[in-house]
Amino acid sequence: MNTVSGPLLEVENLTVSFPGRRGELRAVIGVSYSLDPQQTLAIVGESGSGKTVSCRALMGLLPQAAVVTGSARFQGDELLGLTDDELRRHRGTNLAMVFQDPSRSLNPTMKVGNQIAEAVRVHQRVTKAEAKKQAIELLRLVHIPVPGRRFHEYPHQLSGGMRQRIMIAIALACRPRLLIADEATTALDVTTQAQIMELLLELRAELGMTLMLISHDLGLARSCADEVIVMYAGQIVEQASTPQLFTHVRMPYTQALFEAIPRLERPAHSPLPVIGGRPPDLSALPAGCSFAPRCRRAADDCRTTAPPLAEHEPGHRWACWHPVGQGGPGGWVPPEGTVWHDVR
Amino acid sequence: MTSGKEPLLQVRDLVQEFVARDYGGVKGGVVHAVSGVSFTVWPGETLGIVGETGSGKSTLARSVLQAPRPREGTVTFRGTDLVKLRGSRLLQARRHLQMVFQDPFGSLDPKWKVRDLVAEPLIAYRVGDRAARLHRVDQVLELVGLDPAAHGGRRPRELSGGQAQRVAIARALAIEPAMIICDEPVSSLDVLIQAQVLNLFEQLRAELQLSYLFIAHDLALVKQVSDRVAVMYLGKLCEVGPGEAVYRQPLHPYTKALLDSVPGAANAKATKTIRGEPPSPVHPPSGCRFRTRCPRAEQRCADEEPAMRELAAGHSVACHFPLVPAADSQARSEEIIGEIPR
Amino acid sequence: MSAPLPDLLPAPDAASAVPVRTKARGQASPLRVWIPAGFLILLAAACFIWPQIYPVPKPVGGSILEAGLPPLSPGHILGTDPNGNDVLSRILYGGQVSFEVGFSVTAIGLVVGGLLGVAAGYWRGAADAAISRVLDVLIAFPALVLALVIAEGLGPSELHVIWALAIFSIPAFGRIARSGTLAIREQTYMLAARLSGSRGRHIILRHVIPNIMPQLMTFALLGFGIAIILEGALSFLGLGIPLPEPSWGSMIAQGQQVLSATPEQALIPSAFLFAAVVSLNVLGDALRERWGVR
Repeated sequence: MNTVSGPLLEVENLTVSFPGRRGELRAVIGVSYSLDPQQTLAIVGESGSGKTVSCRALMGLLPQAAVVTGSARFQGDELLGLTDDELRRHRGTNLAMVFQDPSRSLNPTMKVGNQIAEAVRVHQRVTKAEAKKQAIELLRLVHIPVPGRRFHEYPHQLSGGMRQRIMIAIALACRPRLLIADEATTALDVTTQAQIMELLLELRAELGMTLMLISHDLGLARSCADEVIVMYAGQIVEQASTPQLFTHVRMPYTQALFEAIPRLERPAHSPLPVIGGRPPDLSALPAGCSFAPRCRRAADDCRTTAPPLAEHEPGHRWACWHPVGQGGPGGWVPPEGTVWHDVR
Repeated sequence: MTSGKEPLLQVRDLVQEFVARDYGGVKGGVVHAVSGVSFTVWPGETLGIVGETGSGKSTLARSVLQAPRPREGTVTFRGTDLVKLRGSRLLQARRHLQMVFQDPFGSLDPKWKVRDLVAEPLIAYRVGDRAARLHRVDQVLELVGLDPAAHGGRRPRELSGGQAQRVAIARALAIEPAMIICDEPVSSLDVLIQAQVLNLFEQLRAELQLSYLFIAHDLALVKQVSDRVAVMYLGKLCEVGPGEAVYRQPLHPYTKALLDSVPGAANAKATKTIRGEPPSPVHPPSGCRFRTRCPRAEQRCADEEPAMRELAAGHSVACHFPLVPAADSQARSEEIIGEIPR
Repeated sequence: MSAPLPDLLPAPDAASAVPVRTKARGQASPLRVWIPAGFLILLAAACFIWPQIYPVPKPVGGSILEAGLPPLSPGHILGTDPNGNDVLSRILYGGQVSFEVGFSVTAIGLVVGGLLGVAAGYWRGAADAAISRVLDVLIAFPALVLALVIAEGLGPSELHVIWALAIFSIPAFGRIARSGTLAIREQTYMLAARLSGSRGRHIILRHVIPNIMPQLMTFALLGFGIAIILEGALSFLGLGIPLPEPSWGSMIAQGQQVLSATPEQALIPSAFLFAAVVSLNVLGDALRERWGVR
């Protein structure tokens, strides 16, 4: 890992709120983290956790009404509060994003090759022929067979997995330093998902890219990421390296997520351990810890004061007054006999 | 969990096809969505069907319910073949077979209130008088964990995803079905809510002795909920068997590929994948439909379509070269990680 | 634990492609609904109720001695027309005609056209083919020519105007109803309703019609305005309400003849026509935004 030039991305106290009918809707609250070059970071959370909003803030993709404060520095350059022109300098060359639903992000009336070429020409002053050449090269990079022919096809002629590869090709048009994949594989089949994730990891190695994965899928985070951030109700509630998180969970919410996922090893008809309630209303967050109303371990101090996010163990941050496994080493360990289904 | 009685639902050689419309509405061929599917569901049993996009599982669900009627095949529910019935005879025969859909909001009329939505089947089937119906609506809302007083007067847009799906389930339960077909009922829900709704399904199953036909694309999910699991690919069933057996000893290469694609291992850097793209259901491959992506495919697979054979107790597979459970299973799995022909 | 959702959802975090449930509910302020609606109600009340309770001069049979009086003359707030009739009174009675024609044409279109469209869209097949052809034929008729023919053949009258305009109103509503029904038909809740055991008629009444109502109602408001204008045009051409019965259109025609001398004879009825139609349009637009009709 190249640490000479320092972290690639430094987010400090990022806060995003929207004016809502019943008050301010706080989508992201005081999010801070840093991303080193060539690292793979996964940001995990459910709907309303703020994971997508925080990343769109980095790319400057939020609606006008959004109020964004804090700082996000890409290699020292501030990303927040930029004008469109300034953003254009960063988008594509430094930061690029791949979205969830490729069928909605691709222009159905344009050939896919031209859409990639267009992305190339936005950032480089090249001829149409040169852009086409680069586009075909990008198609090859994302393992689309017979790229010369596929160049001329339209999105509806391609499968979901292929379309997502096209999206990746467009995002890679100018070899960005950081690629953000926002639920990029959620809408795809599991077999296609595996292929796309493998492709992203391969590209990361080949192009020296840094990868940020946004997902609700913990299994995906586990198999592909170096570092995982868990978000709830707009805040980071836990952050650790992947091996650390998956063996020593501390935050009760993260534990609840682990337990709620159906796993192949579980016998049929066994009830899933589940917590009741629903995520809080972002315009009326409770005082104290946002998760307290649903938390099994909540005590009075949880309901009055919000626990700060702090690095209680080296490389492992969490925000909880009564974390799992407190008072002893390690956190929650998966129950006896549980095997995370190994992918070989 | 078979109870030795008559099968509740018996589907034989179901075929469903659509005319494909190319971009622009021009006719482009026939989509062979379901091509000869047969299975049985016993009373009190849950059969899970797992398949990816294009497998035809949703079409299968709707064809069972005759919406629209399948092109060929028989669907025998409680002894009556639904395919042969029309109009009110079909409505009567189908009464105890209900469905819960993937999108909770899409399946609820946005202009209706929760109480009216749940009461609709009661009114359609003329169950009881007004007072009895109101009582039943409240009863069934409580059964799914909703407070009739708080939620009864709401419209779907005032509900969360989990609540809306509970309303859909309540509606399905109102006229006391024997079986509920669940088409990806939790796919649009968040992880924690998903778990809540799955537990609800289990609870209802136990309390009301329901059977389910549970359809999803997530194998772990299907296995969790089902007694037996069927794997579907491009309109055909590949493998059917008890959930544990299919998981521990998959016989069909596609099942193995599904299992191997589930992300979640600790240090997996080289995920095993099946290469190539899924073929189009308009032009399915000859013989075995999985052969174009299968590492074990040989000439015979292109010439002859494999029949469903029972290789172990209650565990059948449609494959010429199944992953035979034996001492050489280790050697076989190494074989699979070899060259995959395009 | 039933906190309702925040209205203004940020970019969806949903795990899969769940459609955004809360349609962008109108940013239209309530004023945009109530101001035009209030004006229309006042205008209709003035036209229909005022003459009943407050004596106004008759709109016809005025004496030539009082011809051409300017506005604000004693006894005639808006003056008199070249025939000596009180302008205000003619405006009010003419307004009755406009509202009657507009309402009748819209109502006929809504009910007849709406039902035909829903039937065609819901049952498809032969019914759809037949109904669509009928609607196509009706819509293909050249509007004014037909009105001309009817007026010539049957003589001009309010009723004939209504018939002539209804010939276009029916297919217009029919098409909207049909396309709305086709769109709704594909919704999952329609399938769910059928699986719940509901039959065709029940589904149409309770599911289809309530869901296409917003589209139909907003179209009805715009259509109302169009009907008023068309009636005005026909009367202007002498094919609508026969003189000396008042109609805004014929008043404009009369006023045109004396435009240089007394322009207010044409301007006053034009102003009322304009105000009525603009109000209908603004109201229709605001409701369309409010109800999220596309």
